[in-house]
Amino acid sequence: MKQKKPYTLLNKAEPYLWILPSVILMAIFIIVPIGFVFRMAFSQVTKAGLVKGFCGFDNFSKVLTSAKFGMVLKNTIVWTILVVVLSTVLGFILALILNNEFKGRKIARAIVVFPWATTLVIQASVWKFIIDTDYGALNTLLKSLGIIQQNVNWTPTPEAFFAWEIACGIFVTIPFVCFTALSGLQSIDASYYEAAIVDGASYWDKLFHITLPLVKPSLTVATVLNIIYVFNSFPIVWTITKGDPASRTDTLVTYLYKLAFYNGKQGEAAAVSVIGFLILLVCASIYMVSTLKKGDE
Amino acid sequence: MADNIRINWGKLLRRILLYFVVVLICLFILYPYFVMVCTALKSRSEIFSMNGTIFPIDVMWSNFIDIWQKAPMARYMLNSIIIAAGSTAIAMVCGIPAAYALARMKFKGQTAFLGFIIVSQMFAPVVLLIGIYKVMQILGLTNSLLGLIFINAAFNQAFTIWLLRGTFMSISAEMEQAATIDGCNRIQAMFKVLLPVAAPGIVTTLIFIFINAWNEYTVALCLISTDTLKPLTVGINIFNGYNMIEWQYLFAASIFAIVPVVILFMSIEKNLTSGLTAGGVKG
Amino acid sequence: MKKIIAMLLALVMVLGLAACGGSSAPAATEAAAAPAATEAPAASGEKVTVTMIAAQYGPKTGDWWADFEKKFEAANDSIDLVVDCVSWNDIYTVVNTRIANGQAPDLLNIDVFADYQADGLLLPAEEWCSAETYAKFYEAFLDQSVVDGVVWAVPDLASARAMYYNKDILDAAGVAVPTTWEELTAACEALKAYDPDIYPWGIDMTTDEGQAAFAYYTWGNGGGFVDDNDEWALNSAENVAAVEYAVGLVNAGLTNSDPATNTRYDLQDLFCAGKLAMMIAPNALSSQAGEAGINYGFAAIPNNSGTSVSAGVMDRIMCFDNGQSDEQMAAITAVVDAFYDDEPYSEWVLMEGFLPATSAGGEACAAADPAMGAWIDIVGSAKFYPTAKAEWADVKQGVIDVEQQALLGGNVQELLDNLQAEIAG
Repeated sequence: MKQKKPYTLLNKAEPYLWILPSVILMAIFIIVPIGFVFRMAFSQVTKAGLVKGFCGFDNFSKVLTSAKFGMVLKNTIVWTILVVVLSTVLGFILALILNNEFKGRKIARAIVVFPWATTLVIQASVWKFIIDTDYGALNTLLKSLGIIQQNVNWTPTPEAFFAWEIACGIFVTIPFVCFTALSGLQSIDASYYEAAIVDGASYWDKLFHITLPLVKPSLTVATVLNIIYVFNSFPIVWTITKGDPASRTDTLVTYLYKLAFYNGKQGEAAAVSVIGFLILLVCASIYMVSTLKKGDE
Repeated sequence: MADNIRINWGKLLRRILLYFVVVLICLFILYPYFVMVCTALKSRSEIFSMNGTIFPIDVMWSNFIDIWQKAPMARYMLNSIIIAAGSTAIAMVCGIPAAYALARMKFKGQTAFLGFIIVSQMFAPVVLLIGIYKVMQILGLTNSLLGLIFINAAFNQAFTIWLLRGTFMSISAEMEQAATIDGCNRIQAMFKVLLPVAAPGIVTTLIFIFINAWNEYTVALCLISTDTLKPLTVGINIFNGYNMIEWQYLFAASIFAIVPVVILFMSIEKNLTSGLTAGGVKG
Repeated sequence: MKKIIAMLLALVMVLGLAACGGSSAPAATEAAAAPAATEAPAASGEKVTVTMIAAQYGPKTGDWWADFEKKFEAANDSIDLVVDCVSWNDIYTVVNTRIANGQAPDLLNIDVFADYQADGLLLPAEEWCSAETYAKFYEAFLDQSVVDGVVWAVPDLASARAMYYNKDILDAAGVAVPTTWEELTAACEALKAYDPDIYPWGIDMTTDEGQAAFAYYTWGNGGGFVDDNDEWALNSAENVAAVEYAVGLVNAGLTNSDPATNTRYDLQDLFCAGKLAMMIAPNALSSQAGEAGINYGFAAIPNNSGTSVSAGVMDRIMCFDNGQSDEQMAAITAVVDAFYDDEPYSEWVLMEGFLPATSAGGEACAAADPAMGAWIDIVGSAKFYPTAKAEWADVKQGVIDVEQQALLGGNVQELLDNLQAEIAG
């Protein structure tokens, strides 16, 4: 480092220049819009969308005291946890299976990619079509196979609808988890396993003492990104139920969308998004404190 | 010889089970696509008929031709390509140096920058619609493909930086240092030494962003109002009209939107795992 | 030295960013300049731009407007007309986003107007609608857009609802066309007994259009959204009984399986597939059912009060106050006049399958299609949603929510009491 001393100032500034383009891009197109959302959350906004001045925490108190908010929040948490946990577990198991050597593995992997490569709106439309009571493909299939005689109503209750939406969410999230886990699995040095076999370890010993700990780091990152994406996911619930009936299947994002564009309450909608942001921020901070700190030192 | 002929029953059973499970999973994953194709080939009255069948009775290949007349599909597709390619280019131009700095340099605020990246992901585009529109209006980019390109590039920065940073960190810095001693500056070293080695990871990242941008829906919906500027995802909504959903056309058009992406994804399938490893393990 | 070069290069990268963005989308930049109608008033010799957002009623709407644009510009070479056709799924999102950003169009074709009027965004119809065109509208329609004695929007088209029934199914089951609620319940039960695979009655209580169901049943029971003094009266005894009656039909299994998510379009598809015997729908169902080969008929909506009320729906065209110059106002008036010109207007209404809002249009449509005549009479007797009241958006979402909660087993009286308290304060 000594010979570079004359340039210390530049040296110090250099990394910032390297990240500058990225910072500018995100600042203009993400951070500024976030600023607008915060401003609206603390402003009185008319039905047609005009901002009419500061109103303190009015929007927040209206949102928090509304009868539905608690239910919507609960839905969002259930939705996020179930989709993230189940897709992580299932995606990991799928990765274990696909990590085996077998004929046609390439084809199988290519097929697993499909849900990832499809727009969510289209995915959700197909699932809506499949589970439809009256002309849905699932009823047609089961009737043709002779399993059922009459059309079955797959969504008799709001809970059933929500369950289908969660299933759809899991379906589209699995490929991402699977490939992240698969990449982790492939980077594990075979010598670990050889040593374990010499020690007489069982399949489960190997899984829990070698595979899992080594794949964990790659899954942690995927999981954090997943939590954020799933929490904020919009198209699946919107396409299948629009949160109906009576907000029983609403998540925060669909709820605020309706507030903003159907009820003309953009200020309250902005307040909901700020609340959602704070929840995610807390979760992510906990994660960053626990994992990123190690990397920085 | 006898040894070779003797069958290891346990192993065989496990093989059979493996194939069984894999085939089952593949069938399950392909099912929605199977439904999509079958429905796209049915006539409207057949879709809603009392006694529906799995396969179309009258195969309506014409559905696939009709959509090109009913909507400017070629234009939509071109728009999608422009948006996806443009966003990918910008995301990479901004992301590569940032990822490089994070992987190769130590500086104050590194954690803060990583935090900034994560925070930037915490608002769904849907939530930011009005703010995004405002920015676009200030920049004069409403109802333009360029605006969508910037938005997609920005929303993909986190992913780009994360993947590339991991890729770069998984590559030893020694070669670049050697190149520096040979008289290269940092940027030359990056272009000549690091980037070629990191190519698989870079390709993976490229295609990721491309696909994310190709599939983006909500912002495009709100920013683009002129029909001839709509990307495919938004454009095909013409079949999801006021009076009825034309399932057969919607699905036929969807297939045109999915196929290019699947082909792209398949082409990087091998790189995908290596690219993600790098992104993950070091993260 | 190296460091300095490196820094310079990094700077170049930043600058290159903009260049790269520009070059990667040549098609985009030219289009970016398009929606600029509201900026400076056009200098003499330059074209005056009029922007418009139009609702997409059907698959041909976009083409029709594009064609209109071309013809209009050919006839008025000093005016540049820009029409964006937006689907009903997205139109509120698009319009609100644009208004929130001060980019309101000059002309807007949509269903509601009161929110925009309440914010002082609209110009009175007199200021942009020529007396000649103004005189064409049915008086009753104009009345629907009055706030404080001023007409703020003009009707573009209307639709009315009636009960559609599948003649073949009703005949086979030996059921007469019901006119009262009692007859309706009996008819549904008879139809269900005849063929359990067919839904007797269609109900739509979705976020899309659940307020229509509220209107059909409460109006048919002598209730409604407002009382005689035009004050909100959501929790009247008539309304409670009406919602309970509708929910009762659902609970008795006499309707489609899931009224909270089956939209009217889903029901129309079922009707056209012969799976649904009766439903309330607009006249647009005639052509759809005809194409599907259904032997259909339509009749008045069954009621419980002795007088049948049709539910009318009316959409509007309004003009935003963007500080237009006189030249621009003249251009806007020219656009409106051209649109309501008898020939293109009736052609448009017929194409969309709606009912005309002008008397000349009504005559032209009735001449072109005899079935239209009956509908034009129906729309004349129709009641409309109280869309001129400022709380309408809340009421609309509120009654839908009440219906959906009632479907889940909520107490209708309590729910409507709460809604009334919330709306009327």
